[in-house]
Amino acid sequence: MNATYKRVVTFLWTILWASMALHSPSLAQTSHGTDVAVVVNSDTPVADLSLSEVRKVMLGERQYWSSKLPVVLLIRAPAARERDVVLRVIYQMSEAQFKQYWVAKIFRAEAASPPRIVYSNDMQYELLTALPGAIAFVDSRNIRPGVKVLRVDGRLPGEKDYPLR
Amino acid sequence: MRRRLPVLVGLMIFAAGAARAQTAPDQTEQIRILLERVQQLEKRVGELETKTIAAAVPTAEAAAPVPAAPKPEMAEAAPAPAPMHQHEQTESQATTRQLEARYPSLQIRGFGDVNFSTTDQRGVNSGFNLGQLDLHLASALSHKVTYFGELTFNAQPTGYTVEVERSIIRYDYNDFFKLSFGRYHTPIGYWNTAFHHGAWLQTTISRPEMIKFGGTFIPVHFLGVLAEGNIPSGGAGLSYNAGVGNGRGFPISRPGDAGDNNNNRAWVANLYSRPAKLYGLQMGVSVYRDKITLPVNPAGNEFREWISAAHIVWTKETPEFLAEFANVNHKNILTNAITNNQAYYVQMGYRLPWFEKTLKPYYRFEHTHTPLSEQLFTNQDLVQSIVGMRYDITNYASFKGEYRNFKRLPTAPRVNGAFFQTDFTF
Repeated sequence: MNATYKRVVTFLWTILWASMALHSPSLAQTSHGTDVAVVVNSDTPVADLSLSEVRKVMLGERQYWSSKLPVVLLIRAPAARERDVVLRVIYQMSEAQFKQYWVAKIFRAEAASPPRIVYSNDMQYELLTALPGAIAFVDSRNIRPGVKVLRVDGRLPGEKDYPLR
Repeated sequence: MRRRLPVLVGLMIFAAGAARAQTAPDQTEQIRILLERVQQLEKRVGELETKTIAAAVPTAEAAAPVPAAPKPEMAEAAPAPAPMHQHEQTESQATTRQLEARYPSLQIRGFGDVNFSTTDQRGVNSGFNLGQLDLHLASALSHKVTYFGELTFNAQPTGYTVEVERSIIRYDYNDFFKLSFGRYHTPIGYWNTAFHHGAWLQTTISRPEMIKFGGTFIPVHFLGVLAEGNIPSGGAGLSYNAGVGNGRGFPISRPGDAGDNNNNRAWVANLYSRPAKLYGLQMGVSVYRDKITLPVNPAGNEFREWISAAHIVWTKETPEFLAEFANVNHKNILTNAITNNQAYYVQMGYRLPWFEKTLKPYYRFEHTHTPLSEQLFTNQDLVQSIVGMRYDITNYASFKGEYRNFKRLPTAPRVNGAFFQTDFTF
C-alpha cells in the first residue's frame, strides 16, 4: 500500500517537474534566425548603447535622445520575429505583460502613448527615415541604407555575443 | 483496484510522454512554418491597409517631399531596394503621415470592477457592490507638453459621486527635468503612484489599508507643482519626484482642492532607484512635510506632520514582491506632544507557468499601528492576512478571489471574509 502510493507520488512529481522544465524559457524557446539590429533615424545622436540602455529606452524610462529630440518607439506587430526578440530579450515579458505594462505606464502619466505598431519592414523604414528620433528593430538581413545601425554592448549584428537574437 | 491505479497512472504518463516525444520536434517545425506564414500574411495585410489609407488621401498631399537621402555613415550592409513606383511612394507617405504625431491627441481608457464580499463580522451584510468606474485621459498637446486626467464615478447609497482624481499638465524639458501642475497621487512609497484607481492593474482586489482611497494614514492626493526626472547615475538608475502643494485640507483625507486652509505649503520628495543590472527591482525612500490645521480644538488645532517611507519591489511576476513601510509623525504645536504611527505591508505573488500563465496566486500581510495618544488620526490598528488568486480571463480582464483574516482593535474579534472581484480595462 505505502510502496504503491510512494510510486504514484513519485510519478506525479516527475510529471510536475517535467512539465515545468518544458515550460522553462531555456528549453521551450529556441533561438532560430539571425540577429535583430537596433536601428535609428540617421539624425539620432547615438551610435552605441548598452543592452540596459536599450531596455531603458524601450521601457519609456528614457524619452529623449537630447532636449530637442524625443524618442519615437516603433515595434513590429505581433507574430513578427523582431517583436518576439524584443519582448524576450529586452522587455523580458509575455505579450500580455507587454500590453499591461504600457496601459499602466500611460495610466501613471509616465508616457502619453505606447510604441507605434508597424506592420511591415517597408512601413518601418518609411517611419524610421521620416520621424526624427525613431528607433526600431530590424532583421539584420533586411538592413537598408538610410538608417543608422546601433552597436549594442559594443557589438554589431553578426558579431560574436551580440545580445539580440 | 490498488494494483490498477499505478498501472493506469503509468500508462497515462507513458502515453503523454510518447505523444510529447513524437510531437515536440514536429510541432516546433510546424510553429516555425506557421510563424513565417503569419509574417507573410501580416505583411500582406499591412500592404493592403496602406493601399486603403492611400486611397483616402487627397492627391495634393501625395506631392509631399520624399524622406531625406541617406547619409554616408549609414548602414551599407544590404543593397538598396529597387526604386519605388509613384503609387507605392504615395502609399508609404500616407502611412507615415497616419503614424506621425498629431496634437492634441486625446486617448481615453476606462477601468471598472464589480465585487462580492461576505464576512463573519457582525452587522456587516454580504453582497455585491459596484467598484469605481474610472476614466483616464491622456493627451499630448505638443511633443513636450502633455495633459493627464482621471475621473471616477463612485456608487453611494443615494446615487453616484464624481471625483477628479488627477488633473495634470506636464512640461518636459528633458529626461532629467519634467515639471507638472495639478492634482496628483502623492509620490510617497510605491503603490500610490504605481496603480492609482485601476483595480485591474494591481494583483489584489484592494489596496493596502495604509493607502486606501478615502483613508487618512497617508495623504493619497496632492495639489500643487511637481518636478520629476532621472538623475544621471549610471547603472544605479536613480530618479526623483519633488513637489510643493497645499497639503492636507479638512477633512484631512482631502488635499484642499478649492484652496489651502493655512498659509503653510506641504512638500514631498521621493528618490528611487531601478538598477540596470537588476531589471525589475525598484527601491526608494520618500519624505513628506506638512502643517495641518483643524477647526478650533481646545487641545491645539495645529500639527506638524512628517511622513517618512521606504519601499522595495520586484515587479516581475515570477515572483512579484512588494513591500512598503511608512512612519507618520505628528507634533501638536501647542502642547509639543509627539506621536508616531507606523504601517507596512508585504505582498508576494507568482505567475504560474501553466494555463498560458493566466493564474497568479498571492499573499499579503499588512499591519497598521496608531498609538492611544494619537491626536489627529482615529484608531487605525489593523493586522491582516490576505491569500488569493488572480485569473486573467483575457489580456484586459481578470477574476480575483481572496480570503481575508483581519483584526482591528486588540479587544475586537478576528474577522474572516471571502471577497471576489472581476475587473477590467476598456
